[in-house]
Amino acid sequence: MAWSIEYYEHNDDSVPGADFLDGCPAKIDAQFNAVIDAVAAAPPPQFSGGGKWEAMHGRMGGYYEIRLTGPGREQYRLFCLLENADAPELRRRGLNSPSIIVINGMRKPHRTTFTDRDYRKHVRAYGEQHRANTPRRLAQ
Amino acid sequence: MNDSGFHERRKAERMRDTEFRSEYERARSEIDLIDSVVRSLDELREHKGTSKTDLARRIGRNPSSIRRLFTAQSNPELRLVVQIANDLDADIVVVPRKKTPARQLRGTDRAA
Repeated sequence: MAWSIEYYEHNDDSVPGADFLDGCPAKIDAQFNAVIDAVAAAPPPQFSGGGKWEAMHGRMGGYYEIRLTGPGREQYRLFCLLENADAPELRRRGLNSPSIIVINGMRKPHRTTFTDRDYRKHVRAYGEQHRANTPRRLAQ
Repeated sequence: MNDSGFHERRKAERMRDTEFRSEYERARSEIDLIDSVVRSLDELREHKGTSKTDLARRIGRNPSSIRRLFTAQSNPELRLVVQIANDLDADIVVVPRKKTPARQLRGTDRAA
């Protein structure tokens, strides 16, 4: 069964994941959409996403990232959470089906790294807020 | 309740941009091809009754690398894909596609 693709909506009504994609070059935006559609069509645990969809580890455990390289070797990352549970629990969360939740994205020059502060501020803070919302607050 | 509505509407809007549309179609085709190769190997492994651990041992790899490959937890490395195919007595074959009218036309344009 294909999974749903949803976007986290922040409490100021912004949608960080969509705002990030809107700021990406068209080709990068298109590639992110292609990966996420492929993963949703053939969701975990089977192989999907052409190798561009990867589980994160350490403090980012539980998150998944799509890793792309853009013009000038700039690095683009889109961060997602998975929501999967039995039907009553999914309904409680406001979801019709197991879902990929797009949280936010970040970009950086080639051969630089994101700091843990970057991940905390731009990804985990939103992800924790998302999971604290029941039902989930999603872009409509 | 949500059902990809926001995502689909946003994508439909972006598809109006020809650069976005052509890159989406190219990327999706590439992703589907890679996914198909890896899933075919995993299906063949299951069909032969080979566990991931046994497969890893036979090709001299860490079992976690095989688990990560088949569950999309890491980037597929071509060397690993070929090693698995060899162990499962399978070939990785590249088959040229038949030319479509559109491709033939583009070829004609270039030649002109």
